[in-house]
Amino acid sequence: MMKLRIGHRSKLPVRRRSQSSIFFLLLPLFILYFSLFTIVEAKVYIDIASPAVRKLPIAVPEFGGTGGRELSDIIRDDLDFTGIFVCLDRNTFIESSSQPFNAKNWTVIGAEAVVKGTVSGAKNLVATVSLYDALEGREIFRKEYQTDASLLRPLAHTIANDIYRQMTGEPGIFRTRVAYVVRKGEEDSISLADWDGHRAITLGIKGNVILSPHWSKDGSRLIYSSERIRQWGIYLLDFKKMSETKVFSAKGTNIAGDFFPDADEFIFSSSMNGNQDLYTYRVSSAKLNRLTSSRGIEVSPTLSPDGSQISFISDRDGTPQLFIMGRDSHNSRRLTFNGPYNTSPSWSPRGDRIVFSGRQGGKNQVFTISPDGSGISQLTDRGNNEDPSFSPDGRYIVFSSDRDGEKAVYIMRANGEAQKRITPKGLRVFGPRWSPN
Amino acid sequence: MKQFLVLAAVLGLVAFGCAERKAVAPTQSQEMQQPQTQTPEGSTKAQEKITEQQMAKVESKDIHSKFEEISGMFKDIYFDYDKYDVREDAKQTLKAVADHLRKNTAQKVLIEGHCDDRGTSEYNLGLGDKRAKSAKDFIVSMGVPSSRIDTISYGKEKPVCSEHAENCWAKNRRGHFVLLKGK
Repeated sequence: MMKLRIGHRSKLPVRRRSQSSIFFLLLPLFILYFSLFTIVEAKVYIDIASPAVRKLPIAVPEFGGTGGRELSDIIRDDLDFTGIFVCLDRNTFIESSSQPFNAKNWTVIGAEAVVKGTVSGAKNLVATVSLYDALEGREIFRKEYQTDASLLRPLAHTIANDIYRQMTGEPGIFRTRVAYVVRKGEEDSISLADWDGHRAITLGIKGNVILSPHWSKDGSRLIYSSERIRQWGIYLLDFKKMSETKVFSAKGTNIAGDFFPDADEFIFSSSMNGNQDLYTYRVSSAKLNRLTSSRGIEVSPTLSPDGSQISFISDRDGTPQLFIMGRDSHNSRRLTFNGPYNTSPSWSPRGDRIVFSGRQGGKNQVFTISPDGSGISQLTDRGNNEDPSFSPDGRYIVFSSDRDGEKAVYIMRANGEAQKRITPKGLRVFGPRWSPN
Repeated sequence: MKQFLVLAAVLGLVAFGCAERKAVAPTQSQEMQQPQTQTPEGSTKAQEKITEQQMAKVESKDIHSKFEEISGMFKDIYFDYDKYDVREDAKQTLKAVADHLRKNTAQKVLIEGHCDDRGTSEYNLGLGDKRAKSAKDFIVSMGVPSSRIDTISYGKEKPVCSEHAENCWAKNRRGHFVLLKGK
């Protein structure tokens, strides 16, 4: 197998720096552990941090047993969407999942990695999965999974995460979800679906109008603005209690933005003091802090991953444009100069890009830009494309688009490849946000 | 940090000779039920049970207005694209609203600010807010107390016309008046 280890960084030094005292306390145990089990650091087959990643040819033959086909199809589709694997055509396979692994059967069709598995059980599923390095002719991973038959899709996504981690050294996003707003008649509600759009559920949250929700970094809370009783309130859904509380309300337009990393404080825009300005609010202490006081409209604040910088929209120069400033509201600078209308910024969890919606030829398109204002890149070109935000690993973008008629939710890779609708026909949907975990 | 927790958990297993999976349950977001693979990299034998918590339904309360609302007594007023200043052709309607409020001192008016759908949701909410407020400011300048006029922005969320053409956009860039009676 090609050993693409260019620039691969070991995680150990980072751990040592950040947790040095605890690490040294645990050091004797650490040595004991490694001497007992002689675990070597896993090989990284694909360095996804490298700018020129070669796609790794992988074979995912149909798994044996009831549900084996569906399970292996989902795993294959997950890996395929990443764009870092090439999933080989099953028609060319010589060996099935149930036959003993013979590396030659796979190298001859160009496969460098092979995922095989079998499923047994009817109500309680047991899946045994193996991952092989075809070039070295050895098994590099084997695991047994158990679950209820109703959780076949989460099972497949968990297996795909394990394979992804084995091959790249990074966690996969295949068990994350997307929250979005559904508009039916005069009432909006919030739904939650798997990242690929399957298994959508409604959360029971309703309002005359609901805006794009924002996740806390730990995934335990969702905040969103909703117009109820002719007032814009900011509401918080606590997933631990499954309860909704109104956390902020004032006369005017109050629009929730991102949570700070601690999941207790969030940023928002409000016209409570006349003009639409930016504020922060701490939920536990009800502490309100005003950040801007301009004559124009300032909305859609988004935070850098560490919460130290804010990107937002301001029309202070005549048209809505992206700006960046520090958390203390100092050092404000304009980021976008392309086109007359740039809105809806959302910062990548990796920190290196900001995605936004900008007007191009009379339609709204998704763009990304570096926080230093360089490297602007247009990712969409059909219909109106709005409300973009990143997946937790920063490798994918979710957005809404009316390209096929009514507004629907789409996902794509962060470079614009593989654009795919994930919400069903006939459902008017917008404001999607990817869960952090 | 997650890496560290995994490491600590693995060490914990060695230290206490206990293979209880609960010991390595992720500390964050148990609600989302994302069981992590807690096996050391390079291991050739591992097991995992995949579960998911059922989510109870949340019920939103108090959604609809408590006022008796009367719509249609006054004509809508219109605004220019991406602008929020009161146009000349809107002043007659605004004067009529001011007259009505001066004569009916028990009534209040709610001004809704709306936009066409070419922009994005949040910026348009800011724009609709500005439109409703500039209409309110004009009525207040005619001698109506500020407390008798409420404003709300609906941005582009409640269009009256859905075609993608200027005559339709122009109808959506509007201020709409609702009389509020009683509590």
